[in-house]
Amino acid sequence: MGGTLKRAQEHLALAVAGVVLCALVLLPLVGVVAEAPSGALATLVSPRPWLLLLRSCALAAVVTACALAVGLPLGLLLGRADVPGRRAALLLHALPAFLPPFIVALGWFNLPHGNALFSFAGAVCVETAVFAPILTILVAVGVRGVDPSLEEAGRLTASPWKVATRIVLPAAWPAAALGALLVFALSLSELGVPLFLRVRVYPAAVFARLGSIDFAPGEAAVLALPMLAIAAALLLVERRIGVRRSFAVLGLRSEERPLLALGRHRTTATIACWLAAAASVVPLLGLAIRTLRDGGFAQVEIGASAWNSVVPAALAASVLTVVGIVTGRAVARDRPGSRLLDALAVLGFVTPAAVLGVGIITVWNRPSTAVLYRSLAILAVGFAARYAVIPSRAIAVAIAQGSAHLEEAAAVHGAGFLRRMRRIVVPLHWRAISGAWLLAFVFCLRDLETAVLFYPPGSAPLTVRILTMEANGAAAIVAALSLAQCGLVAAAVALGAWLLSGALR
Amino acid sequence: MKRVLLLLLLSFACKRDVREVVVYTSVDQPFSEPIFREFEKRSGLKVLAVYDTEETKSTGVLNRIIAEAQQPQADVFWSGDPVRPFLLVKRGLVEPYLSPAAASVPAQFKAADGTWTGSAARARILLVNRQKISPADMPKSVRDLAAAKWRNQTAVANPLFGTTTMHVAALFSAWGDDKARAFLDELKGNGTRIASSNGEVRRLVAAGEVALGLCDTDDAAEALHDGAPVEVVYPDQDGIGTLVMPTTVVLLKGPHREAARALVDWLVSADVDKRMAESAAHMPLRREVQVRGVRSADSFRSMQVDYARLGDETEKIQPWLRQWAGL
Repeated sequence: MGGTLKRAQEHLALAVAGVVLCALVLLPLVGVVAEAPSGALATLVSPRPWLLLLRSCALAAVVTACALAVGLPLGLLLGRADVPGRRAALLLHALPAFLPPFIVALGWFNLPHGNALFSFAGAVCVETAVFAPILTILVAVGVRGVDPSLEEAGRLTASPWKVATRIVLPAAWPAAALGALLVFALSLSELGVPLFLRVRVYPAAVFARLGSIDFAPGEAAVLALPMLAIAAALLLVERRIGVRRSFAVLGLRSEERPLLALGRHRTTATIACWLAAAASVVPLLGLAIRTLRDGGFAQVEIGASAWNSVVPAALAASVLTVVGIVTGRAVARDRPGSRLLDALAVLGFVTPAAVLGVGIITVWNRPSTAVLYRSLAILAVGFAARYAVIPSRAIAVAIAQGSAHLEEAAAVHGAGFLRRMRRIVVPLHWRAISGAWLLAFVFCLRDLETAVLFYPPGSAPLTVRILTMEANGAAAIVAALSLAQCGLVAAAVALGAWLLSGALR
Repeated sequence: MKRVLLLLLLSFACKRDVREVVVYTSVDQPFSEPIFREFEKRSGLKVLAVYDTEETKSTGVLNRIIAEAQQPQADVFWSGDPVRPFLLVKRGLVEPYLSPAAASVPAQFKAADGTWTGSAARARILLVNRQKISPADMPKSVRDLAAAKWRNQTAVANPLFGTTTMHVAALFSAWGDDKARAFLDELKGNGTRIASSNGEVRRLVAAGEVALGLCDTDDAAEALHDGAPVEVVYPDQDGIGTLVMPTTVVLLKGPHREAARALVDWLVSADVDKRMAESAAHMPLRREVQVRGVRSADSFRSMQVDYARLGDETEKIQPWLRQWAGL
């Protein structure tokens, strides 16, 4: 009996993770689709939504191209080259990625700007500023994960430039590809920036069924279907290029590698890197100028909103990390059913937040779950539904790079699944797991579009408070609140990085 | 780690207070929040509020009330306009209540059956940048937004959201479908910018990025307060008049009935009328409430509208508006 239970542990754990993911992601979506009127599919018959989708795809494609143009060289330089202060530059460059994109747009708006800001090109620039750092970070981490023996062999006969372009950069291709896919998906589903910059995009058409006067969640769900189809296609592409096994994330490996010497190009590269880093924080400068000039900090009242952001974000990140250990390992070891769970998590990430939000209200606003729905816990549920893929993928990548031999040996000696996880997988990948928690926490902390739909009365998180105060609130107060949000995220990232570096030592 | 989780769980469990009332509002948070705070001080009740965003103004929280209909969470809806509450009345989500505090509110601004009660009002005005348009050249009508001489120099908020929805519905009602549609098409042809919100229209006009725009009186007051070079024009004084929109208080079938009635009484009181006039430049509905620098609703020619009919009109024109907006 004991032996049977031991053998079943892994399946049971996966089943529990599956149930959690279904409850978080699938149920809300089924809830929305089930309420769709029979004629809802007719919304997809007219050419209008398809033209809009094409426009959105074009925007996402241009943003992705720009992000590649910025992120590839920056990732290489800041990840491996002897650029002075490269870690600080990377952190500065990465900051906009950890903020609600809307705040970055607001920052640019507070600086002198021409009409061009309110255009397709303006949206490309703002979204590139927000999403390119994701690509930079992935490439930077990817180039750090290149096998040092390959580089050493290359150095014997080739120049550092050749080593960089022929060995390091090609090895980081999967990281860049995943980054590009992520940027495309994020840009395609972005609503706040295009809405603010008056650029018509497909997510706005979905939102119009939920935010305008003829509330039609079923139609919104139907309209979201093409976006989900695109997401599925992206997932297939990602699986074909096999990025899971090919690179490390979050600096999971601890080996030190020699930096690539830039030689006479070092000054130029350093200036370019720091200019890019400075450009990333320019919108924050716009917010700071507005705050300081008009005394925003003296008037601002953050109240409990920071707490309302941190608590559900921490809870969601913790739950997701536990689930992510099970699903991430299953994905890394290609266990049966793991791809389905992974696809489910991706579904939550790419579904328009407004559709997911209405689904969450449908599922969780019931007498039996009233306590949860009326508390901050509902935010944790929403965050978990949306960001389940993040810790799961981060942990999957870390585990995929390690050997399965230790686990196999333990299994031969009778260790059950849970024991192997507790004694081998978790200790071995503790740093990656902590990094995954931090990443999930930061994504939850920056969330706006999910939380705004169902935050508990009187408990608005900081991002929502910024948006609601933006309605006729003093610009200085809005800017001060936005800077407080930046500070909150920066503090979380810095604290996490410090703790992680401590764990490394 | 266990302690942290325990603290987190405790933080969820300890938040609720029995003496509370839940209000959803599309009245701007900078103005409505102090009103709720004052009520808390006076009544000892805790107000738990959900505010709307500028982009989804009036409709975000409205749709949340509809989405939550199976298990109502909100006790009171304080709407920024008088049209949206009718959508809730139609769905049977409203508990009629004739507040004694609203006895002095003029009859045209409240429902005889107690389904809704008007409070401090706004008007739809033209905000004009003085540096771009001379006094002699001031616009007089909303039709001027489509005038060729201001090509690419005008702005309106997206009519799918906010008070612009109601204004467009009022134009459809006043002019008829064909004229109203032609006007909106002319706006497009004239390069009118479709801003994400009235607040953005204000910013565009104040910054001189456009010469004039259509927004609400509270947006104009904000621009004037900031010292922007703007002028306020009450449009169509020779014609259909300016649209007046009282904020509207509705009692919902939420879980805290008694506390909700107390909050409704407060929100429709003359005291709140005065406070909203002072802080948000809203027009008091009662003649006896006078605030310096704030025009009263009877000081200009207002558009004759039936708010209930506008509610129907608003719903009717939605598909066409979405098409017009390219969504």
